[in-house]
Amino acid sequence: MIIQNALKSITRCTGRNILIGIIVLVISVASCVALNIKNAAAQAETEGLSNIKITGQISLDRQKMMESFNPEDAASGERNPENFRDMFAENTELSLDQLQTYASSGNVEDFYYISTAALNAADDIEPFSESSSEEASEDTAEAETNNPFAEGMPNGGMPGGQNGGMMQMNQGDFTLTAVASESALTDFINGTSKISSGTIFDVSTADNNCIISSELAAFNGDLAAGDTITLANPSDETETYTLNIVGIYTNTSSTSDSNGMGMRFSTALDPANNIYLSASSLTAIAANSESVGTTSTDDYGRTTSTAITTQTQGTYVFADVDSYNAFGTELTSLGLDENYTLTSNDISSYEASLVPLQNLSSFATTMLLIVLAVGAVILIVINIFSIQQRKYEVGVLTAIGIKKWKVAAQFVTELLCVTLVAVIVGAAISAAVSVPVANTLLANQISSQQTQQQSVNDNFGRGQAPAGMPNAAPNNGGGNPMMGGRGDMFNVLQNADANFVDKINAVTDFYTVLQIILIGVVLTIISSIVAIIFIARYEPLKILANRT
Amino acid sequence: MSLLELNNISYNYDGKKNVIKNVNYSFDKGKVYAITGRSGAGKTTLLSLLSGLTAPTQGEILFNNVNIKKINKYDFRSRYVGVIFQSFNLLPHLNSVENVELSMRASGKKTPNRRQNAEEILKKVCLDDSLAKRRILKLSGGEQQRVAIARAISYEPEIILADEPTGNLDSATQDEIVSIFKSLAHNDGKCVIIVTHSPVVAKAADEIFELAPLK
Ligand SMILES: Nc1ncnc2c1ncn2[C@@H]1O[C@H](COP(=O)(O)OP(=O)(O)O)[C@@H](O)[C@H]1O
Ligand SMILES: [Mg+2]
Repeated sequence: MIIQNALKSITRCTGRNILIGIIVLVISVASCVALNIKNAAAQAETEGLSNIKITGQISLDRQKMMESFNPEDAASGERNPENFRDMFAENTELSLDQLQTYASSGNVEDFYYISTAALNAADDIEPFSESSSEEASEDTAEAETNNPFAEGMPNGGMPGGQNGGMMQMNQGDFTLTAVASESALTDFINGTSKISSGTIFDVSTADNNCIISSELAAFNGDLAAGDTITLANPSDETETYTLNIVGIYTNTSSTSDSNGMGMRFSTALDPANNIYLSASSLTAIAANSESVGTTSTDDYGRTTSTAITTQTQGTYVFADVDSYNAFGTELTSLGLDENYTLTSNDISSYEASLVPLQNLSSFATTMLLIVLAVGAVILIVINIFSIQQRKYEVGVLTAIGIKKWKVAAQFVTELLCVTLVAVIVGAAISAAVSVPVANTLLANQISSQQTQQQSVNDNFGRGQAPAGMPNAAPNNGGGNPMMGGRGDMFNVLQNADANFVDKINAVTDFYTVLQIILIGVVLTIISSIVAIIFIARYEPLKILANRT
Repeated sequence: MSLLELNNISYNYDGKKNVIKNVNYSFDKGKVYAITGRSGAGKTTLLSLLSGLTAPTQGEILFNNVNIKKINKYDFRSRYVGVIFQSFNLLPHLNSVENVELSMRASGKKTPNRRQNAEEILKKVCLDDSLAKRRILKLSGGEQQRVAIARAISYEPEIILADEPTGNLDSATQDEIVSIFKSLAHNDGKCVIIVTHSPVVAKAADEIFELAPLK
């Protein structure tokens, strides 16, 4: 009887029900779209990384090291600058041996490394520079005398420097990048670099074969495969090494864009001055340099060597995020000092790419809450009005002996039916509009994110073309504090290029429909409570008497 | 034993002034009663008490010797009494048959062909099929009145209460309605209680109960 009465009432009192239906429809479309966005964002976050291989690196976490470090002498309690130096001397980047030990973990799918060393130009070659060749040679000359990194700096790098270990090589004209496997040549694998003439060197032999960039080749009068170049130890110009060019490579990632800042500090940081060779060749060079080098002791009793130093950066490849995370925890049990951390550019750039999506997701949450709150209030108000309109109906129904709870149940059933229909129609509509709406909103988020980064870049003076940037050498003098923060700035630069997740699959799934129905039922119950309270208070005698 | 007995009942709406005071009366099956009295004498109030819409502030009403306080007031209203309200109190969004059917369902009585039954009852009060399917608001006052009568008798209650049921009717229709009430009492053994101003209706009743206004 309740249901029958309810259905009859719905079909007869269409005006009121259409009004309620439209409101519920709007609420359900808005909340369904919001839920879809949230779900899709959550899914993108969890699934986005699960299908791709992750590469990670173990590096010294200087911030952590500083936090746990106590500069005061244990005995005297005074701050001793010596302690800082000791700390940085003790904590250096991991050696190749150590890196390889960890690579044997079951979580690691593959391991490769590059070793780098900075060398200077000898007589037969000049480092590539975008300024005119005259200036370039001046720069080179200055670099030898004025370069702040070449002189007066202890080998450990400076306190607080994010990339302290890397800085030693900044002093040279060229960066020698050595690999022991072709998988380490990521630029050639992902296609940003390509051999344009000649071939790649044999990665396993110490034959001093190398490949150089097309810019460098052109800069030095069209060097070609078969030519040789001579490089010198930056700390000892008489110690030279001859490399055989076996190939020329082109680098399609424009050198004049985001890295404009970095290359100014040293020509060695210009990708054009990057010379690839095999790890065995570099090992042989370093070994030779070690044997001929001289060591000296500075005022603090620390020894420095004139020998060429190499930096090794190992890269671990993981099948998935889980292995990456497992390896991270495993490292501690393998005895890795807590000052070292496993980091992944893939993950951090992926996380950066998710920023607009996460913004959108939290926007969706806010929208959901507002829609639900406003919707609930509107429904309650409409129900108060409608129940007052229906006072007479309540009076008649109870006067002819229908129990109040049945009348209330009938009214709630009516509301529930209208709500359910509206919710289902709403789910159907949002199934159609969710994807375009979500992607439009996401596009807005991305462009606002990019605008924000653009303005950050402008603030740092990075927005302009590198040609307009001040020349390298004068800047170097005041460069120290800047260099300390360089790591951070590069992160920002990377983020500017972040490949934002720009499509989300905000589809309506069965679970969402259930959630929306649940929301509809809860809203109905909340707004019905008002109706029930009114019905409970009504006395038929009074209602019917008032009417006459 | 009377069907319905009023034992010294009084009633007030506001807790102060009695509208009905110390009324004693008894109603039997198979008779038509006319309750007369001046406007404001408390006739409608008395019907509300008899139909269980409200309870006396003093005294007791016995139905088959049972205090109606002890009977669920919804059951009492939906099964044992049929009320024809002064203002009909029909549901406007339903049509005539549906209004009648609603009361039949509310009574909980099992009627296999409810719709057919309802239509027959409407015919009994001279409403044909086309009127039966018409919405209440599209019916004239007299037609609405007859729907209200049909609704009140549809579930065959033992007591039928009518509040000025002939007020809106021409004398020919009035006679028709009065004969329906008489037949209900004399042929079906119902107790019919009619509040009326009309001397004609009062004369047709078996007993007249004059409700004197309180000073
Ligand atoms: N719902 C009510 N609340 C308060 N007073 C009422 C109410 N209904 C009727 N009364 C009062 O009770 C008295 C009797 O009214 P009623 O029973 O309607 O008289 P009748 O039907 O005989 O004209 C009147 O004085 C009227 O004002
Ligand atoms: Mg009256």
